[in-house]
Amino acid sequence: MANQTTKKKSPINFGDQRFIVFLVIVAMCIFFALMSPSFRKYTTLVSILDYSYYIALMSIGVTFPLITGGVDLSIGTGLICYSLIGGFMVTHYNWPVVAGILLTVLSGALIGLLNGSLVAIMDIPPFLVTLCTCMITRGLGSIVVGGFGITWPNASQPGGWFRSIFKITLEDNTKIPIGIIWVILLVLLMSYVLNHTKVGRYTISIGSNKEAARLSGVNVRLYHIIAYMISGVFAGLAAIAYSAVFATVQPGTGAGFELEAIGGAIIGGVSASGGYGSVTGSLLGVFVICIMKTGLPFIGLQANWQQIITGLVLIGAVLIDVIKKKRIG
Amino acid sequence: MIYNTFTVEKGVTVAIALGGEKMEAIKNNRLVKKIGLNRILLVIVLLVMYGAFVIIKPSFLGYSRIMNALNYVYFLGFLSLGVTFVIATGGIDFSIGPVMFCCSLVSGYSLMSYGVPMAVALIISVLVGMAFGIFNGYLVAYWDVPPFIVSMASMNIAKGLASVFTKTQSVSWPQADADGGWFRNLVKIGEIPVGLFIFLGAAVICAIILNKTKIGRYILCLGSNSEAVRLSGVNVKKWRMLAYVICGTLVGIGAIFFVSAYTTVQPGYGDQYNNEAIAGCVMGGTSMAGGLASISGTVIGVLIIALLQEGILALGLNKNYQLIITGIIVIVAVYFDVLGRRRRN
Amino acid sequence: MGEVILTMKGIDKSFPGVHALDHVDLEVRRGEVHALMGENGAGKSTLMKVLTGIYTKDSGTITYEGREVEFHNAKEAQDAGVVIVHQELNMLNHLTVAQNIFIGREFKKGFGIDDKKMNAEAAKLFQKLNIDIDPAETMGNLTVGKQQMCEIAKAISHEAKVIIFDEPSAALTESEIDELFKIINDLRKQQLGIVYISHRMDEIKVITDRVTVMRDGTYVGTLITKDCTKNDIINMMVGRVIYEDPKTQSSVPKDAPVVLKVEHLNAGRMVRDVSFELRKGEILGFSGLMGAGRTETARAIFGADPKESGDIYVNGKKVIINSPQDAVKCGIGYLSEDRKRYGIAVQKTLAENTTLASLDEYSHGLFVDKKAENEVAQKYVDSLATKTPGVDQLVVNLSGGNQQKVVIAKWLTRNSDILIFDEPTRGIDVGAKNEIYKLMNRLASEGKSIIMISSEMVEILRMSDRIIVMCEGKVTGELGIEEATQETIMNMATREIG
Repeated sequence: MANQTTKKKSPINFGDQRFIVFLVIVAMCIFFALMSPSFRKYTTLVSILDYSYYIALMSIGVTFPLITGGVDLSIGTGLICYSLIGGFMVTHYNWPVVAGILLTVLSGALIGLLNGSLVAIMDIPPFLVTLCTCMITRGLGSIVVGGFGITWPNASQPGGWFRSIFKITLEDNTKIPIGIIWVILLVLLMSYVLNHTKVGRYTISIGSNKEAARLSGVNVRLYHIIAYMISGVFAGLAAIAYSAVFATVQPGTGAGFELEAIGGAIIGGVSASGGYGSVTGSLLGVFVICIMKTGLPFIGLQANWQQIITGLVLIGAVLIDVIKKKRIG
Repeated sequence: MIYNTFTVEKGVTVAIALGGEKMEAIKNNRLVKKIGLNRILLVIVLLVMYGAFVIIKPSFLGYSRIMNALNYVYFLGFLSLGVTFVIATGGIDFSIGPVMFCCSLVSGYSLMSYGVPMAVALIISVLVGMAFGIFNGYLVAYWDVPPFIVSMASMNIAKGLASVFTKTQSVSWPQADADGGWFRNLVKIGEIPVGLFIFLGAAVICAIILNKTKIGRYILCLGSNSEAVRLSGVNVKKWRMLAYVICGTLVGIGAIFFVSAYTTVQPGYGDQYNNEAIAGCVMGGTSMAGGLASISGTVIGVLIIALLQEGILALGLNKNYQLIITGIIVIVAVYFDVLGRRRRN
Repeated sequence: MGEVILTMKGIDKSFPGVHALDHVDLEVRRGEVHALMGENGAGKSTLMKVLTGIYTKDSGTITYEGREVEFHNAKEAQDAGVVIVHQELNMLNHLTVAQNIFIGREFKKGFGIDDKKMNAEAAKLFQKLNIDIDPAETMGNLTVGKQQMCEIAKAISHEAKVIIFDEPSAALTESEIDELFKIINDLRKQQLGIVYISHRMDEIKVITDRVTVMRDGTYVGTLITKDCTKNDIINMMVGRVIYEDPKTQSSVPKDAPVVLKVEHLNAGRMVRDVSFELRKGEILGFSGLMGAGRTETARAIFGADPKESGDIYVNGKKVIINSPQDAVKCGIGYLSEDRKRYGIAVQKTLAENTTLASLDEYSHGLFVDKKAENEVAQKYVDSLATKTPGVDQLVVNLSGGNQQKVVIAKWLTRNSDILIFDEPTRGIDVGAKNEIYKLMNRLASEGKSIIMISSEMVEILRMSDRIIVMCEGKVTGELGIEEATQETIMNMATREIG
């Protein structure tokens, strides 16, 4: 009440945050390049990008539940589960790769539907629902494949074409990371969805003031569910990227991926309490994490440091958000 | 069988929800009131489950099965007791599993590679847990960071720290006959399940803290209505943080029981126990909205989860089924909690 | 003024224990601004909620555009052209102005939303209203005044024929009010029917054509604004209520020591330079209309909200209060107007709530002394005559009056000498009200000092030894009980622009 006058100050300024994140990325690149000559190689760029695809895709998706003021913790183990399910049909039942890919994405959509329904209709806290589906997908994936890893067809095998969606190897063994093109296209698409369609508009409305949106005649439940389905579908797409980039998919893994995706989104300016955020910001945030992940070993730190630092960076990003909100009131 | 236990659980809760005339009569019975209907039903579920497992697999009557299940009870019990305090404040901590692993890895590595004495190693384990509790509690209480974000972050910090500290190697604690192997007496001496007594003792202490002391009083009250407690002139931040510290400390103790029972710990894991600990807690009647918590309920909840896991293994199914089942149990239990709250309002 | 567009006749509405509306009439014409006035709780808002379908009436008829209607919810009313501009704004701060105006009925273009068209339409609306707001601006960045304009624009975009303004000026600055009046005048020219609820006498004179006055849920009368004076309206509002045991003179000796002194307190726009003194054994009434800043003052004194400046003295000693903890240590207790949210832990027992503020005294080390706790709880159950099956009863199961007694017991257990009662009898039935009054008098005679914030004139005149009147965050008057009348208080509580 006391702060109505201060409302004039702009509480929302995506532009700034994204620009700052971009500067951070540039600074990190310069830092690592100065510290380690081998970081400057083309192959490093390729490996950063290889690592970034699946995290970026998850991050695009999870931006939506985050903006509603919720969270989706099931995307990490979900990704592995979907890839295992799709890959299992391809390798064990000779499904065409296209069908396997479709099944992978579909499984994501279904888990998203489940998450969304439990959150929107049954009013169960989102972190709890998705913590449970996180465990459920982990168990499910292992059960489907009987505990063994799945290797999607290699580039040389029939059906291996899907690997070149993300990376083309030329005759002289130069690798061209074309996956980034698809990621950018998807970012543009989902940016459009977030900013210029009902789905996005109502996603923001749910996070901003759910009751006001409901009273304005918005079918709040439906759009709440859709937000989680988007997250699920993108976890499915991330599963494809993961399967294409890495040789085998091991059941029981995937926990922790969600932190990188959610951390990326929050670094990129998505509010942990919902209401605002941007898909492009999330993508930039993911690159902060991926460059750090790839770069740390170059300066002699084990990859495990990255987990610790990601955790701290996440808290830092949320603290900025919390402090900003406190100032505005 | 899975369906069996599930429907029993569901049936029981539906019965509570519907509360027919007979149920009313039972509810109003003096003795029932004193013990709490919920707890009685939980015990019935536990017994029915055990009976069902015995019928399907008579070997379940064997002492070793019970001892196996108890091994699971110890460490999970401490986790669950700890998280009960946090949930009582209306918060959540799902970093407890990885933090427990971090505790046993850091202390175990100190023991095996730096040669610290066993007693010191055990203390280190508790201190590491406490440190995570302080970290989580401080961020939640003093900085208003949402608990789920803090949990997510410290889950990964715990995993990373453990990996860095142990150089990504697994750690095996000494066998009973080795140097420092005395710590295994904490779990059992001969065939006597000492651990059970320690765990029950800890539960009694927790129950006393929760129900008889200022700490518990403030934790429960601020879970019920944090603003009213603040306006009564209570330092809400301090008590909220303390709940996380208690949780972290109990997790550190749980880590000791984990290695006593399972010897080897690998960095990078532990997530699944989050869910099982929370499952035990919410099944026992602790409300996710805060303000209502029952230690005895948590104990029975943990027993059910442990029995379930032993049963699933005995039936020849693997660990993965348990992940799915506990996931479903948590959702169902929380849903009934949500329903109950809706009805009251 | 044109033909009649809306008639409400014999509207009756009861809630459990309260006869909220007793055969109330209201008539609105096209091209008219019709003021609806009355004290807090006179039934204005209830009447409007009946009109817009939020409440269903028990009896009476509503005729709108010549047909008898009954709206079942706000949306139906809105679709028919009856729109309410709420006092509390219901905005989505993260969306733009145009997006807010058209939420739920966006213009489509292919798969997407046609934001350009929405902006253009919103701009047209603003042009029509002569408002200068950028439709593409984020709502959260606007001032409250501008947000209100957007709400009006949203109402008009629904093809409204009757617009109800519920205290629209409460949060506005002078220049914003001028702008608002311009808009309302334009709407009048466009032959809309306008209902204007306000407490501000000067505004009523400036903007309205007729005034309907309500009192205690009944219809008092309708006047042509330009033919009546402020006093006419005030007289109709206050009526001549006869109340039990009115205080005729202060029971506090003139030389009683000052226990609490507040000097130049500032906290946000609702607390501006507030100074007053509270004497031992005194009941100091804080009167004023809704939104006058009384609760905010109390919360600032108690440390529940941050303050910008000002000094507080307790028993002559300057104290620093930055949190409720500090306030409680100084012996101040606060009984909130909203017990459920700020007063009690509902799922806990009566005894647990009783000792919530003084648990240290009822515990040995860390252990709570249940026996002593139950004893003190029982003591106050007896002395306050709290109706409860036992001290282990959950407070959620108690009635409003008894919950209030539990909160009083909490502060008495803490030995607080200064008690701030914020709307002590809100939501409490008549019998229990009298008990609370007696209790407060008893406490005062036992040497406790009480600040009583109340929106009920009768309560203020019955209980207070001295009265402070606030209006828009400022203290506008101080009266001894001897000189206080409803008229004098109402005069101070309603603003007159010089």
